[in-house]
Amino acid sequence: MARNEKALAGKNGRGLRWGMAIDLRRCIGCQSCTVACKVENGTPPGIFWMRVLEKEEGTYPTARKLFFPLRCNHCDEPPCVPVCPTGASYKRKEDNLVLINQDKCIGCRACIVACPYQVRFITEDSKGYYGEELTPYEAKSYQKWQPRTVQKCTFCVHRIEKGEEPACIQTCPTKALVFGDLNDPESEISRLIRERHHFQPRAELGTDPSVYYLT
Amino acid sequence: MAQEFTMELRSQEDWSWLVAIDLFLGGLGGGLFLLFQVFGLPPFIAFLSLGLVVLGGVVLLAELGHPLRAWRAISRPQSSWISRGVIFVSVFIVSGFLYLAPAFDIFSWLPWTPDSRGGKILGAIAGISAFLVTLYPGFVLSSSPSIPFWNNPLLPVLFFSHSVMGASGIVLLLYPLGLVGPGVPGIDSFVAGLIAANFTMVVIYLLTLKRSGLAAKESVALLNRGRLGWTFKIGVLLVGMVLPLLIALWIPSAVVLAGAFLLIGGLLFRYCVLKAGVYVPFALT
Repeated sequence: MARNEKALAGKNGRGLRWGMAIDLRRCIGCQSCTVACKVENGTPPGIFWMRVLEKEEGTYPTARKLFFPLRCNHCDEPPCVPVCPTGASYKRKEDNLVLINQDKCIGCRACIVACPYQVRFITEDSKGYYGEELTPYEAKSYQKWQPRTVQKCTFCVHRIEKGEEPACIQTCPTKALVFGDLNDPESEISRLIRERHHFQPRAELGTDPSVYYLT
Repeated sequence: MAQEFTMELRSQEDWSWLVAIDLFLGGLGGGLFLLFQVFGLPPFIAFLSLGLVVLGGVVLLAELGHPLRAWRAISRPQSSWISRGVIFVSVFIVSGFLYLAPAFDIFSWLPWTPDSRGGKILGAIAGISAFLVTLYPGFVLSSSPSIPFWNNPLLPVLFFSHSVMGASGIVLLLYPLGLVGPGVPGIDSFVAGLIAANFTMVVIYLLTLKRSGLAAKESVALLNRGRLGWTFKIGVLLVGMVLPLLIALWIPSAVVLAGAFLLIGGLLFRYCVLKAGVYVPFALT
C-alpha cells in the first residue's frame, strides 16, 4: 500500500491541511457533485470547478465505465503558484488551500497552462445561461468572481470557514467523497488513506496533491 | 469554454496566436539588437529592435484579461518566468533607448555617447537584457511540468536560436534597401549556418520527444498530422528553414525572399510549439 508519511505525520504544530479522499469504488458517476458545486459557487456557463470524467474500458462482455471525479487538488507544491507573475495565485499558510486573489489576477493564463490537472478556468464575460440578461440567481452568484480572471475550486472555503463541509461532500449520495484534515491522524480521511489502497494524481510531478483516490 | 468530461489526451488551448505573435516579436527584437551589436549594424536597426519588443508587449497586453493590471506582473521574479521576462523587456527598452538616445539631437545634452564609458555600460546592459529577452519565452514554457513537449531544457535554446534566425531574416529583408549600411560580410554564410543548426536542433528535439511518454509522443504526432501538421511541415520546416537555406547557399540574389521566409517560419514555429502542447492524461492507478 502506498503511504504518505508526510500527510499522516500528525498536527504537531503543522496546522491544518485540508484534503479530500475520493473512493473510486463508490463513485457512480452521477455528477451530483458537479451540480452541487455549480449551485453553490454559481460558476459561469460551461465552467465546472468540479466534474466527473468518464472513460470506457474493455470490450463486450467485459466493457466497463470508469469514473474519475476531478477538481483542484490544492497541492502542497502547486505548479500554478510559482508561475503566477502577480502573486494572485497563492497557498494559504493556515490551511494549505490554494486560492486566487481575483483583484490581482491579470488573466495571463500561465496558471491554467501550468496546472497538470486542467482545473483552472477563465471566462471572457459575465453572460449567464440565458445570455446578457442574468437570472436573479446568476446576478447574485456571479458577484463571486470577475470575468477575465482565473477561477477554480476553493474547497468551498466560505463554507469551511463557517464550519461546514464543501457542497460536493454534502451532496454525494454514495459517500464517495470524504473531506478532512490530512495532518490529523485521527481524522476519517487520514484513517482511510492509512487503511486503503490509494494514489495521488500525477504525484510523479512532485505536486503532492491534497486529493487522494481510494481504489 | 466547453470542458471535456472524458479522459482523453488534450492539448492546451489557452495560449494561441496572440501569444505566438508576442513571442515572435519579442524574440525578433532581442535577436536584432544582438545582431546590431555583433555585426556593428547602423543605429536604425537597434531602434527597430526596440520597436519590435514594444510592439510585442502591446500584443501581449491585448491577450491579457486585465491589461490595466499588467504592472503587477513584475511582482514575482523569484519564481515566475513571466515576471522575469517583463523585467528583462523593461530593462532592455530603457537601457536600449538610453544607449541610443544621444543619436537624437534633442538628447544631445546627455553626458554619454555610445562610445563613452557610460554608453558602453548601457550598451552592455541592453545587450545582456536583449539576450535574456530572446531566452525567457523558452523558460516560460519549459518550466511547465504538465506539458512534456515543453518541459525540456532544449526549448529555451531553440527559442534563442529561432530569435536570432528571425532577426537575420529582417537583416536580409532590409539588405537590398541599403538600410543595414554598406553590407554585412558573410551574412549569407551566417544565415545558412544558423538555419542548419536550427533545423538539426528541431529534428533532435522531435526525435527525443517521440521516444518519450504518451503526451510528448502525441505532441510530435500533432506536428505530423492535420492542419497543424501542414502548418509545421510546410510553414516551419519547408518555408521557414529549407527554402531560405537553399536560397542563402545558391541564390544570393534572392536573399529578400529568404528573409521573408525566415520571418514566416519563425512566427509559425512559435504557433506550432504552443498548439502542440499536450497535457499528460490521467491514469486510474
